[in-house]
Amino acid sequence: MKEHTRKPALLHLFWWFMFAQGGVLAAILLPVHILVQGILGPLGIVPVVDRHYDTWVNVLGNPLVKLYLLVLIAFPFFHFAHRLRYLLVDLGVPAARGVPAQVFFYGGAVAVSLVTIYILLTTVPISFT
Amino acid sequence: MGVVSSEPASRDFRWSMPRVWWTRRAHYFWYIVREFTSLPLALWLLWFLVEIRRAHDGPSGYHPHGSLGFVIFSVIVLLFALYHSVTFLTLAGAILHFNVADRPIPSQLIVLSQFALWAAASVVVGFVLIYLGRT
Repeated sequence: MKEHTRKPALLHLFWWFMFAQGGVLAAILLPVHILVQGILGPLGIVPVVDRHYDTWVNVLGNPLVKLYLLVLIAFPFFHFAHRLRYLLVDLGVPAARGVPAQVFFYGGAVAVSLVTIYILLTTVPISFT
Repeated sequence: MGVVSSEPASRDFRWSMPRVWWTRRAHYFWYIVREFTSLPLALWLLWFLVEIRRAHDGPSGYHPHGSLGFVIFSVIVLLFALYHSVTFLTLAGAILHFNVADRPIPSQLIVLSQFALWAAASVVVGFVLIYLGRT
């Protein structure tokens, strides 16, 4: 008699992990970045690291900053991809359930992650000083 | 002689939600707003990626965003970001379950810890962004 064994749904686990971590990171880290770099800095209320080329480049060269920025940008996009796809489902777009939509949204998150890695590695060289 | 059925032929019944179902109750509306927060946040992060890439242009070509339109855009995105944070971190009380000495930690305490983590991270990140911005 053939025994049926349950395989762990590792792919499913991966996507849910990325969704959950992306949501947590967006919730905890994004508001302060938007407030400081999107509002207070441009208005000139406080000095902000990305307002001047020298300070921005010095920071961008740091490998820990590169890693932080990769996590900050890439992870939330997996969360966004899932939420936006199901937003379309909720709004009555049945095509959002299909494989092409999954490729578009989750593939888009992967593409943004790869572009982020490329930009972080090529914009400013890694510096340990 | 064939048997003639008086029953009408069966048909598939496909029920579908009306497209404006989310406008019928405030609770539904805010659920859709919660899901929608992803779009402005994604747009802001893409801008941030552009801001990083602009450092590639050298000191003479680097012009960070500073227009009034961009600030207004950021204010709107911040409102969506805060809504995402509050709704997502509040869910932690329903999702996370921990026991200490065989007693479950109250969900309110778990939610409170998430908000405390958010506050602490905001203070640290904000301080670093401003401190490193001194020329």
